[in-house]
Amino acid sequence: MSAEARPVGGRILTPFFYVLTLLAAIMATLVLYRIFTGVGSITALTDGYSWGIWKPINVVTFTGIGAGAYAVGLLTYILNEGKFHPLVRPAVLVGALGYTLGGTSVIVDLGRWWGSVFLGFPPWYNASSILLEVALCVITYMAVLWVEVLPAGLERMLKDGSPKWKAFAERWLPRVRRVLPFIIALAMLLPTMHQSSLGGLYMMAPTKEHALWFTGWLPFLFLVSCLTMGYGSVVAMDVLLGVVFRGRYRSHMKLLGDLAKVSAWTTLFYVAFRLAALAWEGKLGEAFHLPGPAPFFWLEIALFLVSGLMYLSPAVRRNRGRLFLAGFVGILAGALYRIDTYLIAYDPGPGWHYFPSLGEILVTLGLASVGIAVFVVVVKTLPILALGTGRDAPFDASRPTR
Amino acid sequence: MNVTRRTVLKTLAATGAAGAAAGVAGRAEASHEAATLVPDAMGLLYDSTLCIGCQTCTVACQRANGMPVDKSLVTINGAPFDFPSDTNGYNKTVIKLFQSGDRHAFMKMQCMQCVDPACTKACMLGSLHKVENGIVAWDPIRCTGCRYCQISCAFNVPKFQWNEAIPRIVKCELCRSRVDGGKGSACAEVCPRGAVIAGKTTDLLATARRRIAENPAKYYGEKDEHGKVVPKIYGEHDGGGTQTLYLAPADVSFEDLGLPKLGHEPPAQMAMNVQHTLYKGFIAPIALYIAAAWAIVRNLRKEAAAERAHREEGRHS
Repeated sequence: MSAEARPVGGRILTPFFYVLTLLAAIMATLVLYRIFTGVGSITALTDGYSWGIWKPINVVTFTGIGAGAYAVGLLTYILNEGKFHPLVRPAVLVGALGYTLGGTSVIVDLGRWWGSVFLGFPPWYNASSILLEVALCVITYMAVLWVEVLPAGLERMLKDGSPKWKAFAERWLPRVRRVLPFIIALAMLLPTMHQSSLGGLYMMAPTKEHALWFTGWLPFLFLVSCLTMGYGSVVAMDVLLGVVFRGRYRSHMKLLGDLAKVSAWTTLFYVAFRLAALAWEGKLGEAFHLPGPAPFFWLEIALFLVSGLMYLSPAVRRNRGRLFLAGFVGILAGALYRIDTYLIAYDPGPGWHYFPSLGEILVTLGLASVGIAVFVVVVKTLPILALGTGRDAPFDASRPTR
Repeated sequence: MNVTRRTVLKTLAATGAAGAAAGVAGRAEASHEAATLVPDAMGLLYDSTLCIGCQTCTVACQRANGMPVDKSLVTINGAPFDFPSDTNGYNKTVIKLFQSGDRHAFMKMQCMQCVDPACTKACMLGSLHKVENGIVAWDPIRCTGCRYCQISCAFNVPKFQWNEAIPRIVKCELCRSRVDGGKGSACAEVCPRGAVIAGKTTDLLATARRRIAENPAKYYGEKDEHGKVVPKIYGEHDGGGTQTLYLAPADVSFEDLGLPKLGHEPPAQMAMNVQHTLYKGFIAPIALYIAAAWAIVRNLRKEAAAERAHREEGRHS
């Protein structure tokens, strides 16, 4: 039984919540309009830039932030660092939301969205399609993440539900718990597959992708950087939650410090590997070839380095503000790498230009608002956050939060 | 050595192992065989030296494919003019003009009908697929409108109807719908100069070679390994070969005409090598799943045992 995870409580309809709802309503209106008028009516997309910000931000960055569930899950379940348990549930919730929003964005972006029902029809599967692998993996993983969130809902039912709901929870909670290890194993496999393939997608465009980004290592680099994004999001979010829910929730500074060390070395490994791969392929000179997208390459490297080096400093790990910054820069670094791969480093040829339209930006903002709003409501009402283990509370490894 | 350092090392080791696997995949040569020309492959031969840029082909193509008049692109003195500047959701072929100093040449744009296309590899449900005569066809039922074909096509051929509620992917299918009526490619039928001709790719290659042999100085060539300029037929080998072929005038390169410089391999070959190695028989993912499930069950058991021990300890004290 979950000893420490408890609902945070508090008012739901705050002014902040209304702002988020407004942004979500604007998005919903735009999406409705798009259904009747086509993708081009609210986007700046062209036949040259047929994918805009919705792909690298709404899909690849949202799920990168959501990869906290994968990154912390790897530590907790595979490497048996049980102490990270208190960070798992909120990370899984962020993952479930990030992936659901990413999936929603894809549906809005699909020109013939109704055709996606045939993704459930295996005889038509094209085994060569990297995008198909991504799509099927992401859909399955979305379901997996929500199953992982399920125990939180059932626990709340057990505690506060009517007798009927209690009986239901009593019946189902043990069953869900029993299959959970096999669901978690899927939750480890699927992101390994699709987070790498999200980079692999651009291996298909060797003539359009800039040499600094185009490499057979794209899948591996996307996989490693989804870990650094995931760690960054868990670190930044736990600090932020401690500030937002002051007095009710305390950030797990000790755990975050340990996580920061793991993230530091993962981040520095990424930078070293990226540079080494470029040198190995004899393309390092491209980085000094200005003008062009090369400055963006250096900006990426700088962000990764800043985040990684900040994590290494004990002073940063002790200070909430600085630790938040390190995590946030870690997210930015991964996000920029994704945006660069999908847009800045992508050149379909002379005559094509792209800058996101207001409609695209508003849809992105609206989706993010839905995610934040649902997250806040859920942590207030369901046992997601480990309220008893934060800050200086002695850690008790024998009493996991699960 | 504290717990975290061990964790870091373990993480890096695991990451390294995954990297090694991906690296093997990256180096995997020919793990995925590139397709070769089918005997009855059909295509077009466009000879830029013969084209006068009249655009009759563009109009004939629109009519033959039931496309609406495209008024959206060019206006002359404020009046709409049905001459699109590029292929788009309503035009499968256009003529473009290359001009630089006193060099100039016309260029006909349409699908290349690649021997081993990237679009059919990219397409999730096989909407873009090869049919009879090696033609790349589009099946509306299987298309989700994801537009990954546009990302993956080195020639920027597939076009999308951006402002339609029910959009289509539009590209040249060599007028294959007209074959039953005993007709062929509309553009080749109407060309007054024979600048574009349709036929079996092997025949087109022979024609191109004959034209070059008759007048080698007329055609663009590239230096071979001995530094000798050899006339070039674009598509004979480029990008793994294309069923539609091009000849350019001597002073205008194929890149000037807007055709990408490709090796002899299909552009998607490297991606396919990596993908088909990593996912061969789905063995790697299944192994990874079993390993993960085993580790998780073991770790959770350990934890439960520790919890029990802790509780019992509490009872005794």
